[in-house]
Amino acid sequence: MKALVIYSHPCPESYNAALRDTVVSSLESTGYEVRLLDLYAMGFDPVMSAEERRLYHEQGINEEPVDAHLDHLFWCDTLVFVYPTWWFGLPAMLKGWLERVFIPHRTFRVPTATETMEGRLQHVSKIAVITTCGATWWLSKMIGEPGRKTLLRGIRALCAPRCKTLYMAHYKMDTSTPESRRTYLGKVQKRLASF
Amino acid sequence: MRVLVVFAHPVETSFQAALHQRVVDALAAAGHDIDDCDLYREGFNPVLSRDERLNYHDLTRNRDPVAPYVDRVLAADALVLVYPVWNFGFPAIMKGFFDRVFLPGVSFRMQDGKVVPALHNIRKLSAVATYGGAWWRAFLVGDPPRKCVTRVLRAVVKPGAPIGYLAHYDMNRSTADSRARFLDRVTTAMHAF
Repeated sequence: MKALVIYSHPCPESYNAALRDTVVSSLESTGYEVRLLDLYAMGFDPVMSAEERRLYHEQGINEEPVDAHLDHLFWCDTLVFVYPTWWFGLPAMLKGWLERVFIPHRTFRVPTATETMEGRLQHVSKIAVITTCGATWWLSKMIGEPGRKTLLRGIRALCAPRCKTLYMAHYKMDTSTPESRRTYLGKVQKRLASF
Repeated sequence: MRVLVVFAHPVETSFQAALHQRVVDALAAAGHDIDDCDLYREGFNPVLSRDERLNYHDLTRNRDPVAPYVDRVLAADALVLVYPVWNFGFPAIMKGFFDRVFLPGVSFRMQDGKVVPALHNIRKLSAVATYGGAWWRAFLVGDPPRKCVTRVLRAVVKPGAPIGYLAHYDMNRSTADSRARFLDRVTTAMHAF
């Protein structure tokens, strides 16, 4: 069991950092080998450049700018995303990681007149999302949770057909209390122990 | 109307660039006053920094890092977004525009821990999007970028504001003909905007 944890928050002192630490230690005590990508700390550039876009469909060449990230992606069998939900979606930093790393040929087959899209991350059998939301549960549902769907439907479509998913969110962060935050950390630990 | 056009594609020769040009020309022909915000050309940085996050709720300082963009959003009467859908979402550069510019005191205010939408100067909203995948695939995924426009932004702008969403799906299998038809559709919609 190999888990790649992708974490995206600008503040090392944030609650999301505490979530990240809980996620990593829970996975490790469950028996996972863990690699952590702290996108802010590593100064990841989420903006796909004009050059990258021009070479987007060039098999092999399109892998060069994100070589190391692809190695991590093909090393793991489990993806775990830890981030704050901003505007009901992923932080730009995390969104850019998806668009620059999940590139054609290596991670999916581009549909043509005769062939449909085919996911090429068949080795990924689990995806977990651990997030925080300013909004309430019901408002998130009414809006339709675009961030959750980008990951657990969009990215999942590239993974193993029976890829297992887990989604956890602490809602109403703006009125959260030390207790509610502690409780959520406990829940995350518990759920990951059986993931 | 003063229309803020927000555009996100890095390549000048792309179909998206043609769409962007068509949107700007058609809106101008219809007599609108246009503020053309080409995020790539302006070198917009979509990454919300640690300082920005720490000052996020401080209404006296939170606009400082993006003040010109805040002014442009507040000066507009309408918003038109032009973008390719990448990995079932806005391009990062556009997502970051909302992360960094749609701040407390700009597009909403906090009242007793609750968000109250406040971008009521925007009286009309439209999106022009291209999708790599087929319509049915976007539908199955839940079409996150469409929801960001028709639900998230709808909730923020003036209540009852008309919202348009124009999309060309299945770009990977598009033809010269399907692209020309979509350009025409966009032109018609922008003439009537």
